[in-house]
Amino acid sequence: MSFPRIVGVGSSPAGESELTSRDLFSVALAEAFAELPDPAEIVDGLYVGNQSESYEHQIMYGTLLAEWAGLRHTPAERVEGCAAAGALALRHAVRDVRSGECDVVLACGVEKMTAGGTAGATDALSAAFDRALEQRSGITAPSQYALLANRYLHETEATEADLAQVAVKNHRNAAGNPRAHYQSEIDAETVLDSEYVARPLKLFDCAPVSDGAAVIVVASEEVAADLDGGSPSDSDAGTVAVTGVGTGTNNLAVAERDLTFVEGAHRAAGKAYDEAGIDAEDVDVAEVHDAFTVCEALLAEAVGFAPRGTGIESALDPAERSAGWTDVEMSTSGGLKARGHPIGATGLYQAIEAYEQLTGSAGDRQVEGANRALCVNEGGVADAVTVAHVLEAV
Amino acid sequence: MSGHDGADKADGADGSDTGDGNRTTGTDGGSLGRVTPEELTAESPFTLPGFFAALAERRLLGGRCTECDTVLIPPRPACYACGSREIAIEELSKTGEIVTYTEVARPAPAFEADAPLTIAIVELDSGARLTGRVAADYDAVEIGTGVSLTVRDLTEKEREFALDHEEEWPLHVFEPT
Repeated sequence: MSFPRIVGVGSSPAGESELTSRDLFSVALAEAFAELPDPAEIVDGLYVGNQSESYEHQIMYGTLLAEWAGLRHTPAERVEGCAAAGALALRHAVRDVRSGECDVVLACGVEKMTAGGTAGATDALSAAFDRALEQRSGITAPSQYALLANRYLHETEATEADLAQVAVKNHRNAAGNPRAHYQSEIDAETVLDSEYVARPLKLFDCAPVSDGAAVIVVASEEVAADLDGGSPSDSDAGTVAVTGVGTGTNNLAVAERDLTFVEGAHRAAGKAYDEAGIDAEDVDVAEVHDAFTVCEALLAEAVGFAPRGTGIESALDPAERSAGWTDVEMSTSGGLKARGHPIGATGLYQAIEAYEQLTGSAGDRQVEGANRALCVNEGGVADAVTVAHVLEAV
Repeated sequence: MSGHDGADKADGADGSDTGDGNRTTGTDGGSLGRVTPEELTAESPFTLPGFFAALAERRLLGGRCTECDTVLIPPRPACYACGSREIAIEELSKTGEIVTYTEVARPAPAFEADAPLTIAIVELDSGARLTGRVAADYDAVEIGTGVSLTVRDLTEKEREFALDHEEEWPLHVFEPT
């Protein structure tokens, strides 16, 4: 199979911004196309991951952002899947290029989460829960994950102090990431002394409410060769291929799922590994959906990095982890936890980190010899929908 | 096929009133067939209006997959575990135990007055699990605590945030037993 290439990436910095979604998109587009021809010359289609119209009272982002990119009349559509919308957009772009229908497709994501304050974000995110029984009970996003966290702490040896170490590690990583929402390190005491949002999860166990936009340019192998790699940041860098994609859904209501094994992520990653012809132990770097600290532990186990019950060791140096762990480095960007989580764009920020790691352009965060990356993006509380991508340096 | 046949039947209710007449497991008469378009009225427990109408009468109705025995709350036209579309309706026991729980410090605006909320996932005796509020402080319950599902009307505040079609739908609340 001919594998689609990533020939350009760009994003706004994640964080609270004065800019609106379309403006943040302009920032991301300008970076992604810094060394490429005008979009109108090469782009055949565009997908936009976007969680909610409630932030800016705006849908039709496919049409709007196509216009902003100079792509009037180009097929374009918004993709919805809560926090997985960004990776769903990437999946669609990869599929269109794989099929031969398109040569170049943009995977985009935008979210202006801060527009309605914390209350607005709480309300918008709750729309992702089952209306019949979950929403009406007053549950919030942190408390949905707190249900998973309490069960995980009950079934394993992990403690709240262990969860805090994930936050410490991801803040440390984010401090070296110019795209990150948080640019400062924190210590475990800061996490443990922060107030409970939903027991056992505290404020610093939670990803922030972020604004952001991201663009990834997906091209066929042939067009990528014509564009001479197209790397915006380093013309000597190799290129990156998307070699595996997996996606699937689980029950919308959390209560009906396995609470300590993220089955949807297990299946999606397994499919992506199969397509790429690799195993979990071949993955050098991974961006997973650590919207809350416990997620990194759960996902390490689900995608095959860690034996059951030991995923919480993700914050440890690979040499210090339990037997059976791979030597993967997780959330080198700082993860959702510290890089930030502009919902509909998050899956693309993950792929940008993978791209930078695989092209040796990750700066202080660079993992030596990183050749294969896994990105796992989830929507609607954990694995209501999951998208996994394997990216490889070529 | 069901461990609950008979024992939890509605108190004198005529099954046909809720549209579940020939779908109660009590008939036990072989294949039930798939749900038909004509069955899917607002009285059928396969629809949310029908499910909540029964709940308002203190009857917790579930779907039971006739292929793999998975219990579905609320009832739906296909089994999530095996994909079968042969689903029976039965009234379920309202007791179970807490599988996991949390305390919501800052709930959505509709529920701010009740904060903090204790919320749990409960596994009922039938094996079905659902999320709901717990009428107890966080520190008063733990994983394994026995609970019973109770039903109440919405408060005035909750009603403000309900959609028009939800205003008469009751709320389920778990009480420790």
